[in-house]
Formats: sequence, structure tokens, C-alpha cells
Amino acid sequence: MKRYALLPFNFTRISGKEVLINELGDMLITPIGSVQKIVDHSLDNEELYKSLVANFFISEELLPSLLDVYASRLRLKKSFLDDRTALHIFVLTLRCNQNCVYCQASSREENSIHCSMTPEMMETSVKLMFRSPSPSLTMEFQGGEPSLEPKIIKYGIELAEEINQQECRKLSYVLCSNCRSLSDELLQICKQYHVLISTSLDGPSCIHNKNRGREDSYEKTMAGIQKAREVLGHEYVSALMTTSELALDYPKEIVDEYVNDGFTDIFLRALNPYGLASDNEDWDKYNERFITFYKEALEYIIEKNKQGIFFREDYATIILRKMLTPYTTGFVDLQSPAGTVNSVLIYNYDGYVYASDESRMLAENGDFTFRLGKISDKYEDIVYGEKVRNMGKIWANEALAGCSDCPIRAYCGADPVRNHSTQGDMYGFRPSSFVCKKNKAIIEYIISLMIEREDEVMPIFRSWLR
Amino acid sequence: MTLQIDRNIYSDNCISKVVYWLSNQYAISRYLEGKKELLVIEGACDEESFRKSFFEKLNDYKLREIIDAETKDIRTILYAKAFGDFDDITEEEITE
Repeated sequence: MKRYALLPFNFTRISGKEVLINELGDMLITPIGSVQKIVDHSLDNEELYKSLVANFFISEELLPSLLDVYASRLRLKKSFLDDRTALHIFVLTLRCNQNCVYCQASSREENSIHCSMTPEMMETSVKLMFRSPSPSLTMEFQGGEPSLEPKIIKYGIELAEEINQQECRKLSYVLCSNCRSLSDELLQICKQYHVLISTSLDGPSCIHNKNRGREDSYEKTMAGIQKAREVLGHEYVSALMTTSELALDYPKEIVDEYVNDGFTDIFLRALNPYGLASDNEDWDKYNERFITFYKEALEYIIEKNKQGIFFREDYATIILRKMLTPYTTGFVDLQSPAGTVNSVLIYNYDGYVYASDESRMLAENGDFTFRLGKISDKYEDIVYGEKVRNMGKIWANEALAGCSDCPIRAYCGADPVRNHSTQGDMYGFRPSSFVCKKNKAIIEYIISLMIEREDEVMPIFRSWLR
Repeated sequence: MTLQIDRNIYSDNCISKVVYWLSNQYAISRYLEGKKELLVIEGACDEESFRKSFFEKLNDYKLREIIDAETKDIRTILYAKAFGDFDDITEEEITE
């Protein structure tokens, strides 16, 4: 072998192999003992040597001739930073027409007052959104239940469209709704402006109704989904599930529900410790059970795909995109630097701007740590203010204890808001962090499948990325 | 239980990283005596498996430390090229 120089990489052991991962997130599966040989410059495997050179793990020159390519690829991996904030969440109201047992948004009764955005607030917020330099702007309407405020949705969209005649950005809209009360008027607005509806479906009726606190919830949601599909088109309605404690026992039934309802994907989403969900009695136990649930559900989804049914799991797909493609993802929870502020800003019904959806949920419990300023404040004072500058010191996992030398760092992210809410400080302590444990377990499980069952799972995983 | 570690072989950096990951489960006190470091671990039940696991982690961190040391400069250049305006960095400037 020629004399070579090492390039930056890390390694871990999974399924009896050494898994080497470089700064780009490119992965190489090698026999146990390979890293020692690489470091000792005693490689005796010609094929491995060539793979290491070709995949930027070692270089035959001190300065690799393809360093510019390597740098361009690294920049592409972080390209979500180039355009600044693209996702703008408008929390229209806390009013809601359901009683979800794990409500994370501290929703209030449907007839509550003083908890909704006024037209003046919407106008100020939309103008503030356009201060973001991003060429793509997504307005996402949340609550409570935002469909209870159709007039403010219409006003916000029409105002954005009017301003955009000068701004010429790519605008898109998402309405996060439980689909209980999608009026004809609201659906016509959605149709006119191509609004995507993101609804919540927790599984079969027995799970959904119990989670949502109403006996007719499943029936109403399914009727709403059907109505929205008829007016907007099938592809304009997507669904999310939240894994309540009850749901943990039903991974297959939940997947079957989604398949039978005509969805082609599912996001197996763990509970977040906000709002009512923070009252969960035993988080450690829940977390352990969630990881088991996730693996069982993913295995069942792989089986479905083997039967010829295209159906993908969204969290795994995000991780696979990071592993198998040169591209970044828009998923804010797995970004470094963190998605907070960089990729998302929240305009709340209370007239304030928050760093993330979770930040405004904390505020409902009296914690205003991530309240960045009033919607009437200057854009620069909000996104370059002291609070954001302080977060900026700790929002890159490349520079965090426990993360910086983690082999799977490239597939993970940093989340100061979650660290603050679960561990009491924004920096976080990885050995006791559930997010760390969950992400590690899921990422390592996916890698183990790629090692142990390559021929079986890789065609399926690749189909999810198309 | 007590572990004795030769600081000629394993750096403070490597030991600290292993201790960091174990500090959620065990109380670990560190004492430096010349070039030997003593670690007193409270809470470890199976001494043999703890020792084996500890030194496995330590060896991994030592390998990572060697890789980091050898690739520190190229990593800096890589990040500068990716995110800065330093397109004209040459090999001569690195090897100076």
C-alpha cells in the first residue's frame, strides 16, 4: 500500500462490524480491527484501501486533490443555513374542539376567549416573516385547532399573496388540523392556495378516540380526511401520529390503519414532554418502550414493502437521506446547527415570536426562556438578539460534549430547547438524555439492518428516497 | 472498585470522555499519582465486565484521539473551504 494521510472520520461497532463515518456522513462497513490497521498504517487489504481512498477516509496526498469536491459536499450538507428561516409557524389560537390526553399545546375550550390571534397581529407577523431572506417561505397554521379561525387563515394567506407580488418568493401553506370541522369555506381557501392539510391520526378508532378524548373523534377525523381529499386531492392530505402510552402496544395495528386509509407513509413520533404530556409518570419506562415499539413497527413496515406495498416510515427516511444522499433535510429536529430560529420561527397568538414550536409550548407553562421578542420588534433584534446569540453558542453538535465525538453525529442534531425542558439547561447532558438514547437506538438499528439484511432492506430503503 | 490507568498510554482527554459517559450510572473519583491515575468507582456490580467495557471504550477514544490529531489541520482547511472565503489555500501554506 502507498503511504497515505488520514482524513477526519469516526467509527463505532454494530453487528460485528466496524462502521466508519466521515464528516459528510458517508459510511463504510469494514471488518473488526480495520480502524486499528488504518491508524497504524498497516492496511493489508487492497479492496478496503481503495474504498477508503474513494470515500474520503484516507488520502494518498497530504492535501487531497478532490478537497474542493469534499468541501462542496460538506457545504451542501449544511445548505439549510444558506437561506435562513423557511418555516414560519402561526399559532392562531389555543381554542380546540378535542380533549387530547397528551395535548402538548395547552389547548383551551372551544368557546374560550382572549387566546386567538387578531387580524392586526397576523398582519404584523406576515410582514415580519417576509424579513427572512429565504427564497421559500412556508406558512404553517397551528393551534389549538386553527380551523376554528378560518377568517384569520384567509386573511393571512391573502396578505402574504399580496405582499409576494413584490417579493416573488416561493410560498407554500400548511394547515395542521384535526379535521373535525373543516368547513366548505375553509376548504375552498385551501383549494385556491394549494394548502396542504396535515392532520393527526393516532391509529385505529380504539386508540385514536381514547387519545383524543372524544368517542366520535376517529369517525369525524376520517370524514374530514375524506372530505379534504375530495376537494383538494389525495396528495394534499397527510397525517401524523403521536405514540401515546396506549399506542405502544399496537405497532402493527397502527401501521395497518395508515395503509388501509390510503396513506403511503407514517411518522412514528414519540411523545414530547410539553403540555399535558409532561405529566407522564415514568418517562424512562416510556422511552424504553417507545424504542421497542419503533423497531416492531419498522419491521412490520419492511414486511409490507416486501409484499409489494409502497409504505415508508418518515423518521427512518430522514435518517436514510442523511446516510445515503449528498443532500440535507428540512427536518428541524435533526439539524446542526439546530433548527430553532435557523429553520423555524413561531408567531404566537400572544403577540410574541418564539424560537420553535416547543418554545411556545413551554411558555404556556410559564417558561419564557425562548420568547425572542414581540412580533412588532425589528427582525434583526429578534434573530440576532441576545437570546439567539446565547443559543448559538450551543446549537451545533460538532461542539457539544458527548456529541462532538459521537460516531453518528452526522445523522443527528442539536436541540437546546429540548435540553432545557428535559434537563434544566440548554447545553444538555448526553448520558441521561432520552433524545440521545432514542436517536442512537434508531440510527444504530437502521445501520444494523443495512449490515445484516442488506439484500432485503436496501432496495426498500432506496425506494423510500426516490 | 479501583482502576489504575497509565497516563503514559491514555491521556486525560480519553479518560475524561469515558468517565463522562459513565457518570450517569456511577460515582467516579479520579486521583493522579505521578504518571498513574486511580479511578475509584462506586456502584459497579460486576467488576470484571466493568473493567473490560471501560478499557474497550478507552482504547476506542485513544484511536479517535490519534485520528483527530492527525486530521486536525485538514479538518480546519475543509471547514474553511466549505464555509469561508479561502479558496486560495495551498499545500505549501499547510506544510509551512
